[in-house]
Amino acid sequence: MRYLIVTFIVTVFLLTALPVFAQAPKPAPTAKPWVALKTPWGDPDLQGIWTSDDCIGTPMNRAAQFGDRLYYTEKELADRESAIARQSETDRQETVSEAARAGTGPPGHWAERARRPCRQTSLVIDPPNGRTPDILPEARLRPQGEGAGNNNPKADSPEDFSYYIRCITRGVAGSIFPVIYGNGQQIIQAPGYVTILQEMVHESRVIPLDGRPHANPNIRSYMGDARGRWEGNTLVVETTNFLHGKTGIGLNGGGVPTSDALKLTERFTRVGPNLVNYEVAIEDSKTYTAPFKVGFPLTQEPGYENFEYACHEGNNAMFNSLSGARAQEKAQQTK
Amino acid sequence: MSNRLRISFVTALALAAVLLQVAMYGQTPRPNPNIPRMKDGKPNLTGLWQSLGTAYWDIRDHSAQAGPFYQLGAIGATPAGTGIVEGGDIPYRPEAAAKQRENFKNRLTLDPEVKCFMPGVPRGAYMPYPFQIIQSQGDIAIAYEYATANRVINMGKPKEAAVDTWMGNSNGRWEGDTLVVTVNGLNGQSWFDRAGNFMSENVRIIERYTLTDADHINYEATVEDNTVFTRPWKLRLPLYRRKEANAQLLEFKCVEFAEELIYGHLRKK
Repeated sequence: MRYLIVTFIVTVFLLTALPVFAQAPKPAPTAKPWVALKTPWGDPDLQGIWTSDDCIGTPMNRAAQFGDRLYYTEKELADRESAIARQSETDRQETVSEAARAGTGPPGHWAERARRPCRQTSLVIDPPNGRTPDILPEARLRPQGEGAGNNNPKADSPEDFSYYIRCITRGVAGSIFPVIYGNGQQIIQAPGYVTILQEMVHESRVIPLDGRPHANPNIRSYMGDARGRWEGNTLVVETTNFLHGKTGIGLNGGGVPTSDALKLTERFTRVGPNLVNYEVAIEDSKTYTAPFKVGFPLTQEPGYENFEYACHEGNNAMFNSLSGARAQEKAQQTK
Repeated sequence: MSNRLRISFVTALALAAVLLQVAMYGQTPRPNPNIPRMKDGKPNLTGLWQSLGTAYWDIRDHSAQAGPFYQLGAIGATPAGTGIVEGGDIPYRPEAAAKQRENFKNRLTLDPEVKCFMPGVPRGAYMPYPFQIIQSQGDIAIAYEYATANRVINMGKPKEAAVDTWMGNSNGRWEGDTLVVTVNGLNGQSWFDRAGNFMSENVRIIERYTLTDADHINYEATVEDNTVFTRPWKLRLPLYRRKEANAQLLEFKCVEFAEELIYGHLRKK
């Protein structure tokens, strides 16, 4: 009996003491390089709400004057910093001055703005000249819907408008490239999955990490079939099975529509608590003469969150454009 | 080690394990050993889920009936179904019961599903499409195949709804092995089904997700909305894990399938 009591006490002590030893106090943080966060199940942790805001306004294709130079000089960056400060001053204005021409667009403070200047001279990072490769002649023939920029669009039918204006999609690239607002990308991970919830047009990309093959090529979609894997701390997502001739590799999915041969390889690398380096390699032999890469930083900003973007449910633009066009025709006939 | 000593050591280990169990779980019910769990012991709801049955036609008990378009024949007909409403009846206020009948009569123009609008809560859980739960160590995402609708269940400090939305504002917490989600900030434009059962913007939904084994979730939703109903009521149904080796969330972007219905009258003649 005595043995029993002693062994019992020793066992309980060992069992309760183990977790205490495991949680030994950590040394105070010093100015060490950032150590990649891991999820409890051991994957690199990319979770958070990220935005591509910082490169809003950075052109897709580099201006010729910069040649092969991807980054601005310190002097050029300082100029851009003061432009951001001036913009922020303008955004604070609540009423339109008497002399100003009042437009029908939203006030300036509706838009998202870069919080710091984008260091890049173009969104295209490869080839070295920062310019999109040439587009094949047959690809140029693919119809492109009317975008938001045209104030006098062809409006015979809903199909005349872009997939973005129709609130269908902006495609994979168009859903992360920086635009005037709605650049939020919420990443949530589970064992075996990464999901990216994108505010604008409420996309949800569910990316399996278990190494399964792509879906059968008969299953095609606007956002494609994504498969992910880890290379070190980098999430690599390969997406195929796209529909043919829908969205392009441009802001909001604009530009010449890509083909059913499109393959996108994205790389997400968290390099700091609030910084993910993002790049996407674009291969589409039926559209471009060569593959190319686009890249930019994604940042996490205090207070930034995704909201529900009920685009189709509140799509007055489509209704107004179509009914406006019919009203114009009627007015022409009665003249 | 003598035989007696070995026995006493094993007994001590077993006793210690039992004591630890008691200390860890206190008063809560005995945890289900047959469900997948996260590293921290929480049930792991991650997976592709779908309901069976015909609740998406009508959450109440209903007979089979012809569909609105004879051209679709048997394809367009409504199958009979047993209801998912606890007690059978939805406790509508009289004027709300009349509105539900009106909704049903005009369902081809009024049902948000016809127009490919977001499903809202709880409708997304029992539409004839799967949905994916992605459960992290913190927040939980739900991606519905229908209309690419999605929502995030905040598992941190509860958040207020900033604005009313289709998918609402979801705050979750664990009650033992049950995920309890309080959904408010709903815009009241969602229906429960294709039969015109509806709610108002004053609604609050309390969802309960309980894994009963590795492949089944018991789903419950309590509906509180005293502008439409005389008392809170509950619906309940099982969700099934999609088991096909190649099952995955696919894309059902239905906007383009609804454009002719919504904008067709504005097409150039």
